[in-house]
Parts: sequence; C-alpha cells; structure tokens
Amino acid sequence: MKAYLSAFRMRRKMEMQYRGAVLGGIVCQVFFGLVLIAIYRALYAGKPQPMPLGRISSYVWLQQAFFRMLLASDPDLLDKIRTGSIAYDLCRPLNLYGFYYARILAQKMMGSLLRAVPMLAFAFLLPEGWGLQLPASAAGLAWSLAGLGLGLLCVSALENITMGFTMRTLDSRGMQGMLNMLMMILSGNILPLTLFPDSWQRVITLLPYAQLLDAPIRLYTGDTAPADAPGILLIQLCWVLALTGCGILFWRKNQRRIEIQGG
Amino acid sequence: MNTIRLYLHSMRMLIRSQLQYPASFVMQTLAQLVMQGGEMMAVILLVNRFERLNQWSAGDLYFFFGLMSVTFYLTEIFGRGITGNFPFLIRTGQLDTFLVRPRGVLTQVLCSAADPRRITCVAVGIAALVLGCRMSAVQWSAAKVLLMAEAILCGCFLILGLFIIEGIFCIYSVKSVELVNALTYGGRSACEYPVDTFPGPLRILFTAVAPFALVLHQPGSVILGKPLFHWPEWTAFVSPLSGFAVFGITWLCFRRAMRFYRSSGS
Repeated sequence: MKAYLSAFRMRRKMEMQYRGAVLGGIVCQVFFGLVLIAIYRALYAGKPQPMPLGRISSYVWLQQAFFRMLLASDPDLLDKIRTGSIAYDLCRPLNLYGFYYARILAQKMMGSLLRAVPMLAFAFLLPEGWGLQLPASAAGLAWSLAGLGLGLLCVSALENITMGFTMRTLDSRGMQGMLNMLMMILSGNILPLTLFPDSWQRVITLLPYAQLLDAPIRLYTGDTAPADAPGILLIQLCWVLALTGCGILFWRKNQRRIEIQGG
Repeated sequence: MNTIRLYLHSMRMLIRSQLQYPASFVMQTLAQLVMQGGEMMAVILLVNRFERLNQWSAGDLYFFFGLMSVTFYLTEIFGRGITGNFPFLIRTGQLDTFLVRPRGVLTQVLCSAADPRRITCVAVGIAALVLGCRMSAVQWSAAKVLLMAEAILCGCFLILGLFIIEGIFCIYSVKSVELVNALTYGGRSACEYPVDTFPGPLRILFTAVAPFALVLHQPGSVILGKPLFHWPEWTAFVSPLSGFAVFGITWLCFRRAMRFYRSSGS
C-alpha cells in the first residue's frame, strides 16, 4: 500500500510544477465558460426553460473548473508502451494496474484542484445569471463533495481501461479520440446533460460518464434533492467497482500476452 | 508562383504518405467524424429545446455551424504546419534546419505538414451547410456563391493568422501556448453561433481583434437574407478581406519575431 501511496505523492508533486501552464489553462477555460453562458443566456431570452438560468451557469462553471479531471492522460505511460520501456515497470514488485491507478488519480485530482479553486473563486464574483451560485443546501454540498470523490475514482478507472486499449494496438489515437469525445458529450461538458431531451436524460444519467461530474453537480445545484443522494452515490459506487474490476481483468489479460519490442 | 507550386507538391506528398497506412488512417478519420458529429449533435439538441436564437432560426444556426466547420477544418488540413506542428518544430529544434534553406520560414512550415484526417469534419460541415440552406430556403445566385467562396477563403487566412500569433508566442516561450487557444479554438467554438449572440466585449473581440464576425458572419447573414446589424449588402463583399489583413499583420510580426529566435533544440 505504501508503494502506491508514494507513487500518488510523486505524481501530485509533479503536477504542481507547471504553474505557468496552469494559468494559461485557467484563462482559456474561463473564456470558454463565458462564451457558453452567453450562448445559453441568448437562448433563454428567446424561450425560457423550467430550469432557472442560474443553475445552468453554475453547471457550466463547475464543468469548466473540473475539466482537467476529464481530459488528462498519462503521457509517460503512452511513451513507455511505445518504446518498450514498460518492461522496467513489469519488474517492479507491484501490481501494474494499482501503480498506474495511483498515478492517474493523483494527476487528475491535483490538476483539477489547482485549476478549480481560482476559477470557482472568480465565478462566484460574477453577477447573478453569469456566475456560480451558492450550493442549494449545506447537505447538498456535502453530498456533492462525496459524489465528486466517487466521480474521481470512476474517471481514473475509465482512463485505465482506455490505456488498456493502447497496450493492445500501440497507435490508439483513433480509439482514444473516440472515447474522449464520448466522454465530453456524455459527461455534460459540451452541453449540460440537464439540457438534453428529458427522455434521453433518464438513460444518460445512468451511464458511467454521467457519474464523473454530472451527478455531483446536480447535487450541488439542487437538481437532485439531498434525499435522493444516497441512491445516486450507490449508482456511482457500483460503477466504480464495475469499472475497476473490468480494468484489473483487462490489464491482467494484457500483461499475459504483452510483447516487448525494441530495447 | 514557384512557392505555390512547391507548396502544392509537398501537400500531395504529405497526403500520399499518410495514406500509406490505410487502417490507421481510416480509424482516425472515423474518430474525427464522431468528434465533429458530436459537436453537431450538441447544436441539434439545443435547437430542439430552444427552437431559435434571437432572430436566427434552426436552419440559420446549422448554416453558421457548417460555415465555421468547413472553414476551420480546411485550414487544419492544409495549414497543419502552423495550426499544429509549430511548437513541436521549435521544441525539437527542427526549425533550425529551415533557417539554412533558401525559402521563407513560414512557407517551409506550411509545407511541413498536412492533416487529411480532418476531411470528415469538413464533410460534417458541408452536411450542416446543406441542411441549413434547405431549412432556411436560401435563394442562391451567382453573387452569393462567390460570396460564400470568398468568406471561406478569407476565413482560412484569418484562422492561419490567429495560429501564427500562437507561433509567435512559441518563439518567446515554449510553454504557455494554451492562452492563445482562447482565440483560436475558443473563437471556433464561439463563432459557430452568429456574433450578435454575445454581449459587448466578446462582440468587439470577434469583430475587431479576431474578426470572425466580418469574415464569416456578415457574408453568411447576407446569404441567409438577414444582414447582420442591418449593414448594406455590399459590405459583405468587403468585410471578409479583414481576414487577409489579420494574416498580413501577423505574418509581418512573425518575421520580426524570428529575428529573436534562439534555438532550444539539440
């Protein structure tokens, strides 16, 4: 366990290094947030919806703030797979899946926290209808934090499954691109899931991608009442277990048929 | 003229070389289709819920989306050297080899890469354009066809110009490129919708700094028969030229910046 923890800590420190890149990322993400909210405001002016505009803008800001949680992969591992130096990792007295799970978890957690804190502070300062609202209730905030934690575990497990595909094909850019796009759409980053047709939402919110950010955000904004929160968290937990289990099996199978090339 | 022939020649070679691995190429091209299709789906879902955006009907919105997609991804196919590869050229020091050859640096950068995978994104854009024209019942005329071609061509130069800004930043510092992404990729995402969607400051940004409004939206709105800001129709033929202006200015800045280029490569 100690070894995995230190892998986690190392990666966390590494993610703290590039502060300039973080600043650039924040400016870019804030810009995207403002553009999206401007579009939704103009659409709302034409045809108001039952869901208040303030909730949509909160949704957009939370999605943008935690963007890094969705799209961050471990370039080291990709390189290792391509160059064959993954052989060194196979020599470690560790479970490979656990080792990389700890790394990707640290990267996603630290990367998104570094960006989220200043962005959310900025979004709180914006006027009503543009910015981030306070959470619907204290209970909602507590539940959404728990949900965010589970979402983080879920997205790390998903990332490791994508990595598993890379081990199989070497050049996985096509596969990765498709999986990433699926994630961006179905997690609500491109268009809030709350604006999808209502009949679609019933299915989409059950998929793993909705567990990453959509579920905790709905708990935050009050779209999901705190009373329903345990059920939501249970769905998240099921997905975390299922995805981690699939990932472990997938990696074990990959490891058995791995072929190192080059040297 | 010679430069253009060289450029076309290298495009042909680059595209042929990418087609040497058909399976990988097909897979990546399909991935692009899914990606751009996803963007299109977001617009369709929004239209489905809200029906219209200010004065623009569903068909108009598809039209603007298509116009931006076609322009942006044509630029990515043929200008990949600038839109994608430039930071890489600087980081690895490959740019140094360009400095000793008897051609302009920018020409060589443009000749160094192409990205034919984006062809499916252009296809999605064309589909959106056709759908938009059908739904908005556009009355075509020779002038409008010409206007559309002008808008797309000038749009390509505008986007190249914006990516050159990114390149200039790269010359001074290898990192921190993400900041300029707000103008390029942010501009693409925002200006899939007509500019009057946005409040004052963003409108000024997309008219005066990164003039997507002048290059794409003004001609587009005239083609749809609803001129933006009620400007007279002839302005639509003049305003796209601002795309060339942006390209020209950034090109001059790029040449100046190259004087300060210091190799970081090995």
